[in-house]
Amino acid sequence: MSTNLDVPHTSAAAKPEHVAAPIDTQRAVELLKEGPIGALLLSGISVGLIFIGWLLFYFVLFIPRGSVG
Amino acid sequence: MLSMLGVMMAIIVVTGVTNALHPPSNAETIDPTTLHLGGEFAESNLGTAREPDGSVTVRMIAEQYSFVPECAQVPANTSVKFRLTSPDVIHGFLLPATNVNTMVVPGFVAEVRTSFDRPGVYAMPCNEFCSYGHHGMWARVRVVPKNQFPDLSADERTNCAKQ
Repeated sequence: MSTNLDVPHTSAAAKPEHVAAPIDTQRAVELLKEGPIGALLLSGISVGLIFIGWLLFYFVLFIPRGSVG
Repeated sequence: MLSMLGVMMAIIVVTGVTNALHPPSNAETIDPTTLHLGGEFAESNLGTAREPDGSVTVRMIAEQYSFVPECAQVPANTSVKFRLTSPDVIHGFLLPATNVNTMVVPGFVAEVRTSFDRPGVYAMPCNEFCSYGHHGMWARVRVVPKNQFPDLSADERTNCAKQ
């Protein structure tokens, strides 16, 4: 890769269509109005699964093994 | 998020109170320098003893770098009380398939009660770093079916350590 700064070159990210699918502003506003629902759903599912896992470990493994004190 | 945390805390508190779940908190002291000279942890008293109520008590010493005796024999489906102490540094012991996981502190006797459902040989590691030989410090607990456990008199002790 040439690093000669005297030679003009264009970046691979020079034009909008190189970095994102074209969308008009009104459509973008519509989509963004609802916020990051997908991300919240994904994190909610992950946290929920971990919570269920905690409950399983606690009630199926720990409690049946009883008190030792 | 907070509600899940709240639920978990409530579960821990309620089950802890109703099931009397708490870390072993009895602080029983003993002189670590004279364990071998007599008393409860003299060598002839170590191992498994039968109690009058049918339960068993296992007495062991945790020292650098072994448990003495290194194999404890206990009956299955019986209440087993482990009493351990140390003459040197802090050790730990952990019994798989039970909730037993506690420290053995010189100057104190660690006492825990548990029972084993299934016969087998369980590895009992020292899980508190006790210096160079710590990684090799393991005992074994051999759980035998109740009817195969020897009938011990009050003074008899048994263990499965290699002679």
